[in-house]
Amino acid sequence: MSTSARMIVVLTLIVTVSGGVLSSWDSYTAPKIQHHRLVELRAAIADVLPEHDRYDELALPAQTLYVGRKATGEPVGIAFIAKGSGFQGVISIMVGVEMDFTRLTGIKVLEQIETPGLGTKIVTDPTNKANPLWFPEQFVGVRPEPEITVIKNRPPTTETEIQAITGATITSRAVVKIINDALKQAQIEYQSSLGKKVS
Amino acid sequence: MNIILIFISAAVVNNFVLTYFLGLCPFVGVSKRLSSAVSMGMAVTFVMAISAAVTWLIYNLLLVPYHIEILEYVSFILVIASLVQLVEMFVRKVSKPLYDALGIYLPLITTNCAILGLALFAVLRHYGFVESLVFGLGAGAGFTLALVIMAGIREELELADVPKYFRGAGITMIIAGSLALAFMGFSGLISI
Amino acid sequence: MGKQKSAITREFIKGLWDENPVLISLLGLCPALAVTNSAINGLAMGLATTFVVVCSSIIISSLRKVIPHQVRIASYIVIIATFVTVADRFMAAFYPAISKALGPYVPLIVVNCLILGRQEAFASKNNVGRSLLDALGMGLGFLMVLFTLGTIREVLGSGTFLTYQVMGDWFQPWLVMVLPPGAFIMLGLLIGLSNWINDRRAKA
Repeated sequence: MSTSARMIVVLTLIVTVSGGVLSSWDSYTAPKIQHHRLVELRAAIADVLPEHDRYDELALPAQTLYVGRKATGEPVGIAFIAKGSGFQGVISIMVGVEMDFTRLTGIKVLEQIETPGLGTKIVTDPTNKANPLWFPEQFVGVRPEPEITVIKNRPPTTETEIQAITGATITSRAVVKIINDALKQAQIEYQSSLGKKVS
Repeated sequence: MNIILIFISAAVVNNFVLTYFLGLCPFVGVSKRLSSAVSMGMAVTFVMAISAAVTWLIYNLLLVPYHIEILEYVSFILVIASLVQLVEMFVRKVSKPLYDALGIYLPLITTNCAILGLALFAVLRHYGFVESLVFGLGAGAGFTLALVIMAGIREELELADVPKYFRGAGITMIIAGSLALAFMGFSGLISI
Repeated sequence: MGKQKSAITREFIKGLWDENPVLISLLGLCPALAVTNSAINGLAMGLATTFVVVCSSIIISSLRKVIPHQVRIASYIVIIATFVTVADRFMAAFYPAISKALGPYVPLIVVNCLILGRQEAFASKNNVGRSLLDALGMGLGFLMVLFTLGTIREVLGSGTFLTYQVMGDWFQPWLVMVLPPGAFIMLGLLIGLSNWINDRRAKA
């Protein structure tokens, strides 16, 4: 066999075998990976909505909403993923609201690459021994009227405010902006989807 | 997503070398002379821009429609290896002295993690075609910037009295640390 | 018999210190800095890299007389990329938390100059047995450096080791250690230290 032919044959064989091995490995691992994603999603929804027994997925043009329901079918709240730019990179947050969008039921930061020890306090704050989850917990019961506002250096006095992390103002503000923007969009989308169902 | 912001972010704010630790082998190896640093930087930028474009096409027009995303790493690296081969032949024809100056580091661009990293990041961030291209240019510019600064410093360092055990790689790493610290000042300059 | 044994073990041991891929040959720097912000991440990356270099060396060594010289780099790369994909999907399927922590740096094992370097320099010219030992030694040498770096950075930067608190409450973590500058500086110090150690061994 000439060298060129041999080159092509060997390379093609290697690529084919590689493709075959990877295909079967893909079939084996893909379901497990999918399962992990689903478990994570369920856990995040459970964290941000009040007690519920199941959730329905509502796939809308711009995003997917998850409506939590009790066994009776009674809806407890809506959860959705909000994404936007933080200080260092994209922040992804699971947000839970009441059915009429007047109050938040909770938030959970899913992905972030903020400054360790400062911006990462949006997830958990180990320096606050009493309550490391103080930042996300602030959002429970917050009223976006019309938006959530950020204040610094003092605890919130009204239901529309949350307190920024000292030394991580930009990250804190980014989180609030991401949530505010996503809330508006989700509300518009949800209401128009209801409108479509009625008509 | 503003294209200019992507460029500035990749070049400065989230510099590939100093923030993401990509492209370190040539960073340590080629940063001794300013002239070779500039040449290397340009070669890498060129390969990055084209790789970004070609890998985008392959991922979105071939892998995704046929559900063979598992071949992402294999296909991307083959694309990059071929591109580097082409660049090598091109440089050899156009400028032999440049080819000799870059030496072994030219084929080593294939294993420059910055290029594969760039392709992978563009996929992760769901960039469009033009965005990926600009991302590639920005990343290349950032790589060149870091390389050139380092080369400038190392040329000066030849006159300095570096402690014996740190000569070469040791002091380069420590300088890189100071540079990384300085570049952290760009954080938050613009939101990506 | 004695001479043969020590020649074989030498193939394994050289990767651990004398020809340590990170400290001496300066290969695999990208992952060495990127994922060593904690001990477990360094360990996981070290294991994944060892898996890839060992498997690739075995295959490439077995095929060394079959692969034509001109396409050897392309062939090696495809084989390496295949094993990296296997390792990456394995971690995503069975250890999702670590997979997330290591993120895009696992696929970057494909371009870890350490692996391609071993294939080009050793596996393509030696039998499977010796290639296996060479790969194992290099992989473990790499793992040791990553684990050490990860431990130092985690203890000083977060006050923990393998997520367990090891520094008392009095300790204010050196944040810079888990950020890029700290990684560079720490690696520079380790390289300086290893040069000093080698110098003393040469004198002794």
